[in-house]
Amino acid sequence: MNSNSFSPARIWTLAAATVTQLVRMKIMAFLIVFCIIVVAAGFAFPVMNPEQQLKLLKDVSFGALQIFSVVIAIVSTALLLPRDLEDRTLYTILSKPVPRYEYLLGKLMGVLLLIGAGLILMDIAFSGVLWLRQSLVLAQSVTALKQEGVATPEAIAQLNEFVGKQGLTWNIHLGVLAIFLKASVIAALSLMISCFASSTLFTVVISLLVTIIGHGQGLIREYFFTAGMNQIMKKMGSAMLAILTPDLGIFDVLDNVINGEIVSAFSAGVMIGTAAIYVTGYVLVSHLLFVEKEL
Amino acid sequence: MPDSAPSPPAVTVENLTKVFKSGLGQQAFVAVRDLSLTVEKGEVYGLIGPNGSGKSTTMKAILGLLSPTLGKTTIFGKSSIEVESRRDVGFLPENPYFYKHLSGLETLLFYGRLCSMSGRDLQDKAREMLILTGLEDATHRRVAGFSKGMLQRLGLAQALLHEPRLIILDEPTAGVDPAGSRKIRDLIMGFKESGITVLVTSHLLEQIQEVCDRVGIMAHGRMVREGKLDDLIAVENETELILADASPELLAEIRTLAESKGARWIRSGHSRTTLERLFLESTEEPKQ
Repeated sequence: MNSNSFSPARIWTLAAATVTQLVRMKIMAFLIVFCIIVVAAGFAFPVMNPEQQLKLLKDVSFGALQIFSVVIAIVSTALLLPRDLEDRTLYTILSKPVPRYEYLLGKLMGVLLLIGAGLILMDIAFSGVLWLRQSLVLAQSVTALKQEGVATPEAIAQLNEFVGKQGLTWNIHLGVLAIFLKASVIAALSLMISCFASSTLFTVVISLLVTIIGHGQGLIREYFFTAGMNQIMKKMGSAMLAILTPDLGIFDVLDNVINGEIVSAFSAGVMIGTAAIYVTGYVLVSHLLFVEKEL
Repeated sequence: MPDSAPSPPAVTVENLTKVFKSGLGQQAFVAVRDLSLTVEKGEVYGLIGPNGSGKSTTMKAILGLLSPTLGKTTIFGKSSIEVESRRDVGFLPENPYFYKHLSGLETLLFYGRLCSMSGRDLQDKAREMLILTGLEDATHRRVAGFSKGMLQRLGLAQALLHEPRLIILDEPTAGVDPAGSRKIRDLIMGFKESGITVLVTSHLLEQIQEVCDRVGIMAHGRMVREGKLDDLIAVENETELILADASPELLAEIRTLAESKGARWIRSGHSRTTLERLFLESTEEPKQ
């Protein structure tokens, strides 16, 4: 293959076409649903204490963000390749001077751009509602302290610190980043599966299954690789599990974020590095499968 | 010093065999068996054969969409496996389909960018292709609303966009009405005049006959006949004589003379137009 054949412009063209294709499939309607959920959660349950109110808002919002990213990552990636093949669009694309890996990269980049843009928009909406709720909760709590006659400067400062910890912090955005990284791994995994799958349904089901197993890798290790097992068996079992499914538990920092705990820079680095390794690995295997695919 | 090396043919297929693997317990399917053909530069080559004869598989192998089980294919001397070989090719698949959400113009811009075209040049070329294929009215219309004939013409436009030296057309007139079909045939004639090489498959043998210089006939994955069209279809021992304004007396004299010289008179009568020509004459709107 000609070494000059790599073209970021071509990859961008394919990615942009993928984004518009998915956008016009009304996939982003999910965003509106998300905003409604966040606003409803933000102003529901006013009888709860301030901590519970803010935690619940974060819990519901992060849940919706996770569902959005995982569903888009699996379904949209699973749809793209079979649809192009079915419509023969793939023939007209690959009969141009487009290497197959550029086609794969373009498609994956399109899905990731869409998920990324969606998450940014949702993060903005979520942050806005959280900030509003936080301000409201703080004002209500100060009023309550005043009515009880215990609104000392120390008490107000303590309240400020407490609400601030549970409210809008950079940690929230790190939580969103973790969701994006996890979705990237799942999208790359779905792309790899769609390279050998016989149908879209097969890709969706297998991707979903692997995603579920990937979330429970820690539990599987704990349950199946018991103390009675020898070290070699344990290592082999762990290696097999790691090859077959990604360890998505690495990206599960949301409980910490919801509880107001700080996500360290080291944890963020581990997440980014792990996602990069998984995505690169899956894209390489996808290329090996796709380059041999009979069209 | 003059370059004495002969330039490579537009397409070569050497001993191509393609076997499709089947599932467990099923026999593998041999789609193409030991096929060889050459398409010279500037030639219009027609590949014909019944359904399942291996025409599309051969085309896909030439385009690098399928890898041969045995043998090799080249485009202008470059192996079809190389991505670079596709720089000089425009391909129109059978019943093409494009991204529904794009307009006619956006579709061509998309394909142009894949061929490393950009800017004003691409815009101008895309509009020129829309005019050439009679789609100027559909410039901003979504592809989802295109008829079959319009999709076919858009497919042709994307195949021509980057000014390829070789155009591969798989059933270019499938599902197109006679007027559209004539338009595509005229375009192929135009390519021929411009020196562009064309490799075409079609079930409409009359059209192949009209446009092709050479023809290959495939059956059961093999090439069964190949050669110059005139050589293949000429009936060796028969001669055609077409006259205008000949009186019955003159015809009688010619017949008598021919028979007196030992020739056998087979038939005479009025020349007939084709149904296609009649259709076009009846349906074409008079020019203002």
